[in-house]
Amino acid sequence: MTNERSESEDGAVALEMGLNEQSIERRHKAVTLLPEDLARIARIREAVARRAEEFGKSFFDYLAGLDDARDFMRNAEAVHRARQLKIEHLAAMVGGNYGMEYALQRLKLARVYSRAGLETRIFLGAFHHLLRLVGTAILKSARSPEEAFEDFMALKKVAFFDIGIIVDVMVFERERVIRRQQEAIRELTTPVLQIRDRLLMLPIIGTIDTHRARMLTEGLLHSIRVNRAKVVVMDVTGVAAVDTKVANHLLQTVAASRLMGAMVIVTGLSAEVSQTLVNLGVDLAGLRTIGDLQGGIEEAEQLLGYQMSRIDRPKVAGVLSPSN
Amino acid sequence: MSVPILRQGDVLIASIQVAQTDEDLRGLRDQLATEVGSQRAKGVIIDVTALDVMDSFATRTLRAIAYSSRLRGAHTVVVGIQPDVAFAMVQLGLDLGAVSTALDLDDAIDELRARRSEESRA
Repeated sequence: MTNERSESEDGAVALEMGLNEQSIERRHKAVTLLPEDLARIARIREAVARRAEEFGKSFFDYLAGLDDARDFMRNAEAVHRARQLKIEHLAAMVGGNYGMEYALQRLKLARVYSRAGLETRIFLGAFHHLLRLVGTAILKSARSPEEAFEDFMALKKVAFFDIGIIVDVMVFERERVIRRQQEAIRELTTPVLQIRDRLLMLPIIGTIDTHRARMLTEGLLHSIRVNRAKVVVMDVTGVAAVDTKVANHLLQTVAASRLMGAMVIVTGLSAEVSQTLVNLGVDLAGLRTIGDLQGGIEEAEQLLGYQMSRIDRPKVAGVLSPSN
Repeated sequence: MSVPILRQGDVLIASIQVAQTDEDLRGLRDQLATEVGSQRAKGVIIDVTALDVMDSFATRTLRAIAYSSRLRGAHTVVVGIQPDVAFAMVQLGLDLGAVSTALDLDDAIDELRARRSEESRA
């Protein structure tokens, strides 16, 4: 079941990376893999395929000897799976077919590596060790050193083709994690909350750049329409630094909201921030600002015609009236 | 295509349904300027919900309508600017100045009513 799922994921990754027949063709061209190379590889097929298991074992023994690969080697499941795939790889490497199926096999192995946290440089070291073993085997079985060298160079083209795919996949996987996290952060940090009928609150936390300001404004404008908001309280207590650019973004958000018929109250400009703004000469005259969030909400309620009053006896015992 | 102007009590409602050429907008401006006087309107509502583009000319014309109606005693409210349109306008630096805006027709009528009662109190 997990295998099936990871297989369909492999396909998705290949698709997302743009790994297809054409790009594989281009990759072949990049390492100049020619028909005569295939003939040379066919010559050494027997010698390498016979010892695939032994070479595979040596590859992992080599990794086991490296401190930096310790975390990877501790992951027994991944190592087991990688070992299987590696032996298949060695057999396929001299198999003569380097099309889509072969590339997908490389991709699968690379994803096992990257999920188990094997670093690219460590992998490259071990792969080099493996090539040396294969080279030695070729030298032994060849009729002359010249022939052995040529055969090995042919195989090396395939090896570099493999490295190209594997490194690309490992980099892609790492970038994917980053992309996913960025998306999560973006979604988390721009909530628009309705706190009363027709009153929205927009707490902004962190730094505002152009991209985020855009997302923020778009999100707010849509919420204004969906919730039929008349007043928005925008709280910038959590914005560490407000400079000319950020102030400009805020002004734009406010202007856009106003075009949709909603009034924006900005709250939470701290003493330092307001001093900086004054020093920078930023004109916030177009903004309705109130010191803190509480004040902003009170003002908004008043604008909407709400009248807040406290009932005499607090419902929570001990709060505000300890004697009762 | 010219925009029909409806009358509801003492409010004129112009609902723009399709994209307007500059010529059309000029026509609307002139027509409203006349009708505010002849119908003795106290309010003008311009509904732009159907517009998905608002350029500088359209913005300027809306502003002109609002200011000239003001001079003739009617308050103008622009309603239904779409989120994307609002964002684009701000990016382009377009501004409706002191013209009132509202989310939809309901809100615009509320706004005009509130303004009226405020004025009568004053």
